[in-house]
Amino acid sequence: MNVGRRETLRRDEILRVEHLFKEFQLNGTKQMVLEDINFTVRRGELICIAGRSGCGKSTLLKLIGGFLVPTSGAVILDGKRVKKPGTDRCFVFQEDALFPWLTVEENIAFGMRRSPGAHSGHQNEIERFLSLVGLADFREYLPREISGGMKQRVALARVLILKPGVLLMDEPFGALDAYTREEMRDLLLSLWEQLGQTILFVTHDVSEAVLLADRILVMGKGPGRIHKEIRVPLARPRKNYGEHVPQLTRKLNEIIREKSEGA
Amino acid sequence: MDWSKKKVMETGLPWIIPTLLVFGWILVSEFALVPGYLLPRPQEILSTAYNYLFQEPGQAPYAGRFWSDVRASLVRVGSGFGLATVLGLPFGLVSGRLPFAQKVMSTFVNGLRSVPGICWLPIALVWFGIGLKTTIFLIALAAFFPIYINTAAGARQISPILLQSGAMMGVTRLRGVFAVLLPGIMPDLMTGLRLGLGISWAYLVLGELTGVPDGLGAVIMDARMLGRIDMIMLGIIIIAVIGRLSDTLLMFALRSFFKSARRTG
Repeated sequence: MNVGRRETLRRDEILRVEHLFKEFQLNGTKQMVLEDINFTVRRGELICIAGRSGCGKSTLLKLIGGFLVPTSGAVILDGKRVKKPGTDRCFVFQEDALFPWLTVEENIAFGMRRSPGAHSGHQNEIERFLSLVGLADFREYLPREISGGMKQRVALARVLILKPGVLLMDEPFGALDAYTREEMRDLLLSLWEQLGQTILFVTHDVSEAVLLADRILVMGKGPGRIHKEIRVPLARPRKNYGEHVPQLTRKLNEIIREKSEGA
Repeated sequence: MDWSKKKVMETGLPWIIPTLLVFGWILVSEFALVPGYLLPRPQEILSTAYNYLFQEPGQAPYAGRFWSDVRASLVRVGSGFGLATVLGLPFGLVSGRLPFAQKVMSTFVNGLRSVPGICWLPIALVWFGIGLKTTIFLIALAAFFPIYINTAAGARQISPILLQSGAMMGVTRLRGVFAVLLPGIMPDLMTGLRLGLGISWAYLVLGELTGVPDGLGAVIMDARMLGRIDMIMLGIIIIAVIGRLSDTLLMFALRSFFKSARRTG
């Protein structure tokens, strides 16, 4: 029963970022890249971090992933302080991050095969995620033999299968064409709903953020800071036409422009 | 038939140059453009080859020595190349991944590398005497550098995203070497090993020229002193063929043992 109680206590909050600062040494001078970042994420939320290039949003994601160490402040996931990379925080990168010597299926199985526990259930899980991302017929293909959109689906499946506490996505659809991007957004939303996965999604495309997010954190640069936090009140499915989505997109773009001119 | 045409092209093309060479050689020796003691006739090489490969030992000079010579040479190349791999691969990985280790090693290794292999012959003879050890030392030393350098370059240039992907999917640093790093640099690794094996054959001959009783290099040197130019040429041809075969065999072995070699190499 204790376990159940802990669940209810923690249901709300899974990730907390506290007074996070990050400084880089650039040609001997210190440069503040992130200044006093604070926010929390609730379990199952889909949060977008939007901002222009160079505002430190990717750095923020790497700090949460444990690939970088903060100058001060802390990232706390599920009550534990993040110190190094781990299977509870998985990345989907923008570029090719699949292992080129493994097939689609082997790429998806890679992390699963390394996790302890019931091996008999593994193959079922692999099958399930292959079909969730619609790649069951392409299981034997190598990454170089499939399209960019398919690669990103593999990248998504290989980490979703590990059920990370939070999924970190760094402009994952940035290199895809507009049509594929739309397809991937729909797929991501349907997986998010089916799996209840907490997602932190970084993008410079404000309309993408409006189409996806429960909440949007708007970042500005010099140094990188969260300027505004906006709840997106629109019901899903959202379409990038009509009234609401373009309106909110315009508003957010204005905020970003204002902040970058002020800096 | 498009398919068979392609097939003929693929299997036929590599033989064009050797065929032309042999044809030219026949012409030159038939018309006696070059005296026989400088360039024997191809037919003589063939009969020497038959004698060397298939005759009972003892019937004529060099008769039937082929198998014992090849065995001796293979052992030397195998040990030297194996030693070079066992040393070059891990040192290459460490130097490619750890900037500290690279700083420690690179000046020393590059300094050594600029010394021509032949310079090591006198000191190797003093240290190890004539024979197996000297030859293995020379081969291992020469083959070490291409293996080390290509491994290090591959390890240095591997995409950090691949390593990060491994880390986030639960691969520890040491396991990551086998799960991500080695397969990730397989093309460089294969280049290094192939270059290393090629150089091993070159230094085999150098090591065997010093007066060992058996081995392909020893036969060539022996034949020179007896003025048997046909035997010298046969030795060269045999080393070319075996060198080429060993390269194919190396690739085949890597491809059968490693997915990454099959799929990306």
